[in-house]
Amino acid sequence: MKIKFLAAMSCWFLFIAASMASAADGNLRDFIYNPGTLKPVDSSLKVVVGQVAPDFALPSIGGRTVSLSEYRGKSNVVLSFVPAAWTPVCSAQWPGYNIGKKIFTDNNAVLIGITEDNIPSLHAWVQQMGGLWFDVLSDFWPHGRVADAYGVLRTDGTAERALFFIDTEGIIRAIIVTDINVRPPLEEVMRELVALP
Amino acid sequence: MKTNIIKLVLTLFFVSTSIMSGTEAAGESEVLPDLVLTVPENQQYNEYLGLTGEVGTSFYVQDIQADILLIELFDMYCQYCQREAPAVNELYEMMQEISKDGPVVKIIGLGASNSQFEVELFRDIYNIPFPLFPDKDMSSYRALSGEGTPGFIGCRLEEGERPTIVLRKSGAFSDPGEFLYELIEKGSPSEGRRE
Repeated sequence: MKIKFLAAMSCWFLFIAASMASAADGNLRDFIYNPGTLKPVDSSLKVVVGQVAPDFALPSIGGRTVSLSEYRGKSNVVLSFVPAAWTPVCSAQWPGYNIGKKIFTDNNAVLIGITEDNIPSLHAWVQQMGGLWFDVLSDFWPHGRVADAYGVLRTDGTAERALFFIDTEGIIRAIIVTDINVRPPLEEVMRELVALP
Repeated sequence: MKTNIIKLVLTLFFVSTSIMSGTEAAGESEVLPDLVLTVPENQQYNEYLGLTGEVGTSFYVQDIQADILLIELFDMYCQYCQREAPAVNELYEMMQEISKDGPVVKIIGLGASNSQFEVELFRDIYNIPFPLFPDKDMSSYRALSGEGTPGFIGCRLEEGERPTIVLRKSGAFSDPGEFLYELIEKGSPSEGRRE
């Protein structure tokens, strides 16, 4: 009887230890799904530098519908497509832009984040990040319509890791599509922002 | 038989409480790998670290003039590192205070997968007073067997001895004072030197 009790206690200690280690650590890796290494690029661009960026209107996690055209004549726009919520590289891309807000505002640019996830998933993900200063839009339904218009919809329904730099006239001035497994360096983003007219 | 089981339970208890604290006591014999960094341009950093080499030249981490060195593994993009930054700054201030008449305790940060530009943004946003170094290819992170960010690795630097790792912590610490106490307790070379 005592032996069973002690054995049970032993299991309890180990269970508590494992639970507490995870909770105390609290790192993002406890929440994310790791898809492993993916095909670097799995789509073909449908837009080029110099053309007018396709307009869109998508729901944001803030509750309003955001269109690209509402910034025409007012601000430069950077569209940041990321593949999916709760995945490793994406979860460590926008938090960097979050503290780099000044880089965007100094160049009269608004940043718009877009994924193919639905609003509830995006809401939970951004909440877990502690909030973001920029709009996050859902291209969930009709699924991937905007990503497809830009040519960054992958065959599995996620988006590429892509950045589109659009000037105040709505013209695409630069495009960066990186290996989906790699985060684009912030200085590259900075360089394209500074180069905007 | 019963004695053995009691011993087992007690052992498990101490193992579990050790895990719960989130801090691992590194093995006494765990040698700090050779980490090569670049002498920064900032002269205040060089004075803090006790470096005399020319800007842009290489130095080994063990060349840093300290009894105990804490290496923070961070990533500018990591939201947890961002949230932890004020507490790490507080830890640095405590280190400065205790180093006046105790063991000399210093801290550096290594930006895992970060460029110089990204490290400088992190430094500017959070007013980080201690030296940060980019680790773009994560070679230092890997050499230190990093396990996520933020992470902390405490080292004992004894003159004439191979530097050893005395503490590892993955994730945020709860209290800067308690963490510093633990670091000093594990990292102090000897009672004589502490005095």
